[in-house]
Amino acid sequence: MTLPLLPTTVIGSYSMPEWLERAKNDFLSRKLSRRDLDEMHDATRKSAIKDQEVAGLDIITDGELQRDNMIDYFTERIPGVQILDQGSKRFYYDFYESAVRAKIATGALGLADDARFLKRFTTCVPKVNVSGPHTLVKRIRNEHYPTEDAFAFDLARVLNFELKELVRVGVTELQIDEPYYSGFPEDLPWAIRAINALVEGVKAHVTLHICYGNRYGKPSFEGSYRYLFPTILEAKVQAVSCEFARRGDEDLQLFKEFNVPFKVGYGVIDVKTQEIESASVIADRLRGAMEIVPAEKLVVNPDCGLVRLPREIAFAKLCAMVDGAKIVRKELGQ
Amino acid sequence: MIVHINHIATAKKKSQLGDLTSLVTGSLVNMVEDGVLDSRIAPSLRIHLDWIQYKTNFRDPVMVRRTTNPEGQPLALAEIAIDLRQADPAQLPIQLAHAVRTVNPQSTVDERRVYLDHFRPYRECMIWDFNRLFWTRLADWEAASGRGFEAALPSGKSDANHPEAVADSVTEFWTLLRELDTRNQLPGEILALEIGVGTGMRARAWMDGFKALDEERGTGYYAKLHFILGDYSMTSLERAVAALSRHADHVSAAPLDALNPFKALGSHRFKVMYVHLTNVYDNLPFDDLVRRDGHLYLVEVRAYVSGATADRLAADFGIACEDLPQAVERLIKEGPSGVFPGERGVSFWRCLWDGFKLEERLRALAPGDDAHVPPGLSFMHFEDLLAEAPEDVRFHISRGAAESFANTLPLLHPRGYLQVQDIFVEHMDDYRRGFRGPGKLDGSLVTWVNGAMLRVVGARAGYDVHFAPFPYRPGTKTTIMYTTQRP
Repeated sequence: MTLPLLPTTVIGSYSMPEWLERAKNDFLSRKLSRRDLDEMHDATRKSAIKDQEVAGLDIITDGELQRDNMIDYFTERIPGVQILDQGSKRFYYDFYESAVRAKIATGALGLADDARFLKRFTTCVPKVNVSGPHTLVKRIRNEHYPTEDAFAFDLARVLNFELKELVRVGVTELQIDEPYYSGFPEDLPWAIRAINALVEGVKAHVTLHICYGNRYGKPSFEGSYRYLFPTILEAKVQAVSCEFARRGDEDLQLFKEFNVPFKVGYGVIDVKTQEIESASVIADRLRGAMEIVPAEKLVVNPDCGLVRLPREIAFAKLCAMVDGAKIVRKELGQ
Repeated sequence: MIVHINHIATAKKKSQLGDLTSLVTGSLVNMVEDGVLDSRIAPSLRIHLDWIQYKTNFRDPVMVRRTTNPEGQPLALAEIAIDLRQADPAQLPIQLAHAVRTVNPQSTVDERRVYLDHFRPYRECMIWDFNRLFWTRLADWEAASGRGFEAALPSGKSDANHPEAVADSVTEFWTLLRELDTRNQLPGEILALEIGVGTGMRARAWMDGFKALDEERGTGYYAKLHFILGDYSMTSLERAVAALSRHADHVSAAPLDALNPFKALGSHRFKVMYVHLTNVYDNLPFDDLVRRDGHLYLVEVRAYVSGATADRLAADFGIACEDLPQAVERLIKEGPSGVFPGERGVSFWRCLWDGFKLEERLRALAPGDDAHVPPGLSFMHFEDLLAEAPEDVRFHISRGAAESFANTLPLLHPRGYLQVQDIFVEHMDDYRRGFRGPGKLDGSLVTWVNGAMLRVVGARAGYDVHFAPFPYRPGTKTTIMYTTQRP
């Protein structure tokens, strides 16, 4: 499928309904069966897919509503990672305490099933995300590997297998989420090497998403994207997406200054406010971005996942984003 | 019938409390035997023996609480609550017998009460009008009482300005800045905020302390510091700004509603490193919820004065009982001078407040009724709260505090924190270990803040909420609440 100029996409997650949060908590306290919860997950994923299609997005995800959070979905699946407090979690969004005490094994993580589900229910370009090795290393207690980077490289090996599996089932758009870089900029050299190990041999368009955190709908860190440069230039990915709507586009100059070889996923939607941006505001932001980065190298997306926004707000924001992109495309003669 | 012996303090002699309790249970058994207490009503009657910590409060020694369905139609469940602190052994059997007679919804017993309002939830009742009147006419009240409002506090002064507390707060904040500085993450502008500034003395002491510490350690943080004084009262803001004149270049005033600081300060979203409040939350609107036999009831109150109080007001001020509600309305709308000129108006206000009482009833919550859910919160918050509450409990919905808290958190920098000095109920279980208000405090009111609820609100917003004792004054009930980021 040919994508238009200024293609639009989500970062990953879609609005989490409050009733689903309740159901997830009920599942944890054994008031709801796995089967019932899975049915709810499927229904909300279909709804998320439909919303993205109706909004007019070009590249979509399944909304990731079956994921309790970006950590546990992986720690529960990676062979060799032990959940230390299984059964004690009451609030689904909390992270499990997890540890690795032996070399992790290669094994399917089940994301291919998610991809098949998504492909079955959409005609848009499907995208699947994985949490990056650096992020996972920061949340899983390492009791085996000599260093954090050694652990990250082994995680990259396992995740690489999963990315290839996703490509095998027909996914062409992949994304790696690394929100912890901004809190630990000193890790960047090995973290980027781990990314390169992760994407090695993966025949897809891979985006690396780097933000300042969106847990609970608030940032986890503050600062400037300057820490990314020049190390980020070594990343063998096709795009890097960052948050600009909330923080302003001052740091976008860095992408020009360093003449980045990849596309820029430009965050035009502030996901930490319920205020809905208008299409003209989006268009203005894009015009501003195009003064720095050529339109051919821009991908249009929100700052981060939409999970903490009410559905009607998330949907309205996506509609505005798509409309804003259309305005600018038209101005460019598309 | 179920007798609840609630949170009995030991201020009265042990034998007195035991005698009073025996008197209550003995009288009730006699009434059943004598047929005074209808055997059809007895099974759904609950008796509460309380010890109210506030000497002046809104209750009579014996009060009846009836229950209604959501539409206001009577239900069988009823409660008689006895304040053992106020109870007079000579009067108690008579008051109890009177209460038992009035439990029946069809009762025609003449209460000789002058009602000033109809039933409303606590959040909407007249006490908030009186509270507002007190704070806007503080000078009049203080002139009449001959003492400042802080003298009415249990300790006779505010804990807000305690020098050691302020010094520790300064050191803690400086330490955070130092850590950020070490990691090269110090913001260009360091924002601090106090909500509810009072006279400005705490903010001044804090700024003095911070400047001195910064100079002593040569870190240069004071130059980057900007302290925002937030209050709804322009008078308080002007007074506080004047008190901080020596820090004029580092201070600004922000008129704001404590219920929604974000509205006024939204441009500082995720930028404020430190927020402080003292004794703000305990003076914000609340509701009371009751869970009995698995059902939830909202407490509704109706303001009244007793017949005796009305007679006294009539004798002293010449206002007939039937004219009293209108006089109260004028007092609230126009202030004391709207009723009588000069000191006489203030005197009327003080006498009225002295005799001001609240009758309570429990209205069953209909499925889907969420009017008691404060803005910014959801049913999920309540489910979390109720999940940790005892089955049989009466507790506050600290809606004002929760709303304020929820609307302050988005101002915090990722490494910032909020610190509140107030009186908190830390766990839902604690509601069964003591009476938590409301009580009268001079012309104002005070009620404990449901800290367990704030913990739930914080968790949903990404913050853990902690409570630490206020170690600077022995015996104080003040607690320090503070936030840390959830992982």
